[in-house]
Amino acid sequence: MVKNKSFLNRAGFFLLVMAIVLFSIFPFIQMLSTSLKYQWDWGNPSLIPTQINLEAYKELLNIGQGEVELHESVQNLIDETPDITKAQKKAIIAKFRDTSSVFPFFRYFGNSLILATIAALLSVSIAILGAYSFSRMQYKGRSTIQRGVLFVYMFGGMLLLIPLYKMFVSLGFLSTKTGTFTSLIVIYLVQTLPVSLYMLGNYFRTISFSIEEAAMIEGAGRFETIWKIIVPLSASAIVTVFVYSFMIAWNEYLYASVFLRGFERLHTLPIGLQTLYYSKNAIWDRIMAASMLTAVPVIVLFMSIQKNLAGGMSAGGVKE
Amino acid sequence: MNLAGILNQNNLNRQQRESVLGWALILPAVLIILSLILYPIIYNIYLSFFDVNLEGGNTYIGLDNYSNVVFDSVFWNSVYTTILYVLFTTIGTTLLGLIVALAMNKEFPLRGLVRSLILLPYVAPVISVVFAWKFIFDPVNGIFMDITYEKLGMFSERFNMIGTPEYAVWVAILFSIWKGFPFAYLMILSRLQAIDATLYEAAEIDGANRWEKFKSITFPEVYFVVGAIVLLRIIWNFNKFEDIYLLTRNVKVLAVYTYFKAFTGYMEMGQGASLAVIQFLLLIGFILFYVKRVLKW
Repeated sequence: MVKNKSFLNRAGFFLLVMAIVLFSIFPFIQMLSTSLKYQWDWGNPSLIPTQINLEAYKELLNIGQGEVELHESVQNLIDETPDITKAQKKAIIAKFRDTSSVFPFFRYFGNSLILATIAALLSVSIAILGAYSFSRMQYKGRSTIQRGVLFVYMFGGMLLLIPLYKMFVSLGFLSTKTGTFTSLIVIYLVQTLPVSLYMLGNYFRTISFSIEEAAMIEGAGRFETIWKIIVPLSASAIVTVFVYSFMIAWNEYLYASVFLRGFERLHTLPIGLQTLYYSKNAIWDRIMAASMLTAVPVIVLFMSIQKNLAGGMSAGGVKE
Repeated sequence: MNLAGILNQNNLNRQQRESVLGWALILPAVLIILSLILYPIIYNIYLSFFDVNLEGGNTYIGLDNYSNVVFDSVFWNSVYTTILYVLFTTIGTTLLGLIVALAMNKEFPLRGLVRSLILLPYVAPVISVVFAWKFIFDPVNGIFMDITYEKLGMFSERFNMIGTPEYAVWVAILFSIWKGFPFAYLMILSRLQAIDATLYEAAEIDGANRWEKFKSITFPEVYFVVGAIVLLRIIWNFNKFEDIYLLTRNVKVLAVYTYFKAFTGYMEMGQGASLAVIQFLLLIGFILFYVKRVLKW
């Protein structure tokens, strides 16, 4: 009887864990599955593709896309119509070989990468100095600043979007490419700065002051202490904060969608994907492949800092 | 030279120097936050009293933006949708997070792998997972319609869940729970791991069953962290835009409504600004209600 009950318990627990895992990863399996299916296979509820289709990935990653094969009927039409000139022939062939409608995955990827990297680097650098200041030094106004940083969590993106947009338009930033890019970097910087300040501040407090004291008695200045002692000792926390800031910028859609309106070449991955979805039909395989390629770098980055994650988050600095 | 002597000599100076250096180090961060968060908020309040023109001057129109917004029934609809969304996503993420945390706190084979896998929804970029969700609920290809219509016969025909506002809001809520529960789970789990195991042993000796142990040991221990998670979730989801807008344009919570008002069609930025102010005030009200009435702090 007792044995029976514990068996039921264990089976129930096993089912619960299975359900949780399935709920969590089902959309990812669906994504992978659809990205590998042919169009005729989409309606098939089975997650295993009847036949593997790698075309979507090839197209996005520009593999074997150099020469677009002319469709036979087009070739026939050209060959069998004697009264068109050579120039006309060329124009027709060029039109069918046009690849500009292909999703420029690498450009969007590059834009996102540059934006997120610069914003995260700036955010971490400024935050190291700031966090050192309010975790290690004594001065008037320190606690006000610390609390003020927390208060920033209350404000949603929408409250700041309209005034920031108006400000940057008035300053003339949004009429040039460089200006637009700069304004987005600055905005991502300020969105990630409070998180970085808070997480790093909490980490710095856990480093024993005696090491620093020893260095200062040896004659090292504050900056030298920060650079030679604090930074190496908190390398893992700094990497964690960098990845966190990077992800916030990498995933950002709202500001990018408004600020990058004028410059299609500057579009980031989220904007590009959303545009792709609404501009064409029957593109599930390409959308899913692009989704996979957008998600993978972030997931890899995140898994690499997973160990530090729980601690860093419960230490207080979190933003979604 | 005598080190103590130097320190003594420069004592006052040192404190002042520390103060100056402290401010100098924090100054860049403070300036950026002041100019790009505090100033814009004040500017937003200012703009909400004007007819905003992107090209040139703004015209002062008093409370017209507010009255235009408040006397529009669409606004009240989106207030209702926002409250529905915040309420159910907050309850959903917290409850699921608690259940998952309790499960993950037990030993079982492959626990490390399972713990990593269930973080995926939280980790992956919104933009990449929304399309998978759209596909699942797609009327023609999606597995949801395949199960509910073909296999179970719950509906009389295939239809577009995400395209129908009254259903889309529930898909958005489910999506948000899926995306948000790992955060709640992580926070609660780290609290659970700090509970002293001897408490449970003592309770077992006293003959407490599983529910009693949960009620009188686990729950009081996680109460504070659950309260904090709920508070954060209310703030986040009240302001949520991307998770909803990218999944469906048919769920007009306040943030989405403001976006449509300010950045599409006539681009009514003044009204958008007043909507943002109203949304912020509502959030404060919501938080006060939660802290005073629910948490009783």
